[in-house]
Amino acid sequence: MEYYHSPDSIKDALSMAREFDGNFIYFAGGTDVQIYRKQKLEKNEHIIDLKSIHDLNSISIKDEVLSLGAMTPLDDIIKSKEILKFFPVLVEAAKSVATPVIRKTATIGGNLLVRNRCTFYNQSQEWRNGVGSCLRDVGDICQVTGGKNDCFSRNVSDTAAALIALNAEITLINSNGMTQKPIKDIYLPCGIKFHDLDNEIILTQIRVPFSPKKWWYKKLRMRKTLDFTSLTIAATIDNQDIARICLNGVSMTPILIEEPIETLTLESLIKQARKNCKTVDNDLMPLKYRREMINVYLEEFWNSIYI
Amino acid sequence: MEKVTLTVNGFTQSVLVESHETILDTLRNRLNLTGTKKCCDEGTCGSCTILMDGKPVLGCLTPTLRCVGKEILTIEGISSGESLHLVQKHLVKSLGLQCGFCTPGVVMTAIPFLEENPHASRNEIKESLSGNLCRCTGYKKIIDAVENAAEEMRS
Repeated sequence: MEYYHSPDSIKDALSMAREFDGNFIYFAGGTDVQIYRKQKLEKNEHIIDLKSIHDLNSISIKDEVLSLGAMTPLDDIIKSKEILKFFPVLVEAAKSVATPVIRKTATIGGNLLVRNRCTFYNQSQEWRNGVGSCLRDVGDICQVTGGKNDCFSRNVSDTAAALIALNAEITLINSNGMTQKPIKDIYLPCGIKFHDLDNEIILTQIRVPFSPKKWWYKKLRMRKTLDFTSLTIAATIDNQDIARICLNGVSMTPILIEEPIETLTLESLIKQARKNCKTVDNDLMPLKYRREMINVYLEEFWNSIYI
Repeated sequence: MEKVTLTVNGFTQSVLVESHETILDTLRNRLNLTGTKKCCDEGTCGSCTILMDGKPVLGCLTPTLRCVGKEILTIEGISSGESLHLVQKHLVKSLGLQCGFCTPGVVMTAIPFLEENPHASRNEIKESLSGNLCRCTGYKKIIDAVENAAEEMRS
């Protein structure tokens, strides 16, 4: 049996979450979770739809600090002239997610917590039965590496790359109260448990503390629309000339490289990126090509700094 | 099963639905509104696009219970009697369809886009329809049709 609930306050949502004791899933836009349900990868009985909680859908900019409600649709971010003025890298990232129609439903919070993906996991039940199940499903072996311990599903959040490059923070609420932490700290280097948030927690706000002096963003994918990322790089340079370069889509977690621009070299940047990315052959694009594209994109970013 | 009241194409009616049901299945299987097409059923092709409070959404990803209290508009509610909407008229005129399976989704995507962006360029029209897959026409004629509709809407 499946049940749908639509609480109109965070308090009600949390109390439902406690009542259902792990047998539930939160819905933000629901554009990704619905597919997991159809593919029988998400089997919890209760859906708690956060759509009716009005406080979670808001955009405000004060003193160049951006506050975003987690349920803000990506399309609203793209259309905000103020966000475009101060945080164009975020607009660019939002524009690169899915399709124009999906972006009207998909939310920024949902995109930040989008589940890690792998070509051997994100498939129909029949496909998985045919090929053989994996560590993340009900199997005991990784279909990509043949290993028995680690899952290498990729984090594919485009907005996470941009928001980490912007040093953004998030507000989280559970029954114990409210906490704030940098976005980069919630992700774990594991394909199965890819963030450290407990089941019940609700992401409510995203705060972006500065408007960068320079920015750069690029996403690699098969088509110019719809596809999840094969490699996303978002980079910013702040007023103190600190470069923050975030790579996503090539490892279990977003990879951040943060260094003053005067000590950073292209060679060290590429070396750090290649060392930290645990890239395996679990995407439609070939592994060798994706690895090479890390160098290509970082070189493009590097050249853009001095223009 | 839950009893819900839905407003579809201006008509309000009560219907029994499953908790997990999508509005696409409710429209097609319970209300017999089969103009909205079921194709990929996973948000990839755009065939099931409908309007919810004027905004395009994918029927296959939208829970029916999320549609309660909203105005749903499907392809059946677009034309007035036998007079086609401009977008439909130009799709016919420009031969922007062959099998016609993707056409309801194209129409339901193009109409709100043109209402919001009456001066859209060809590239913007292309991008707006980038989530609608067509296996017959190769897209050029669809883009032509929407571009011509935009031109006539402006005049």
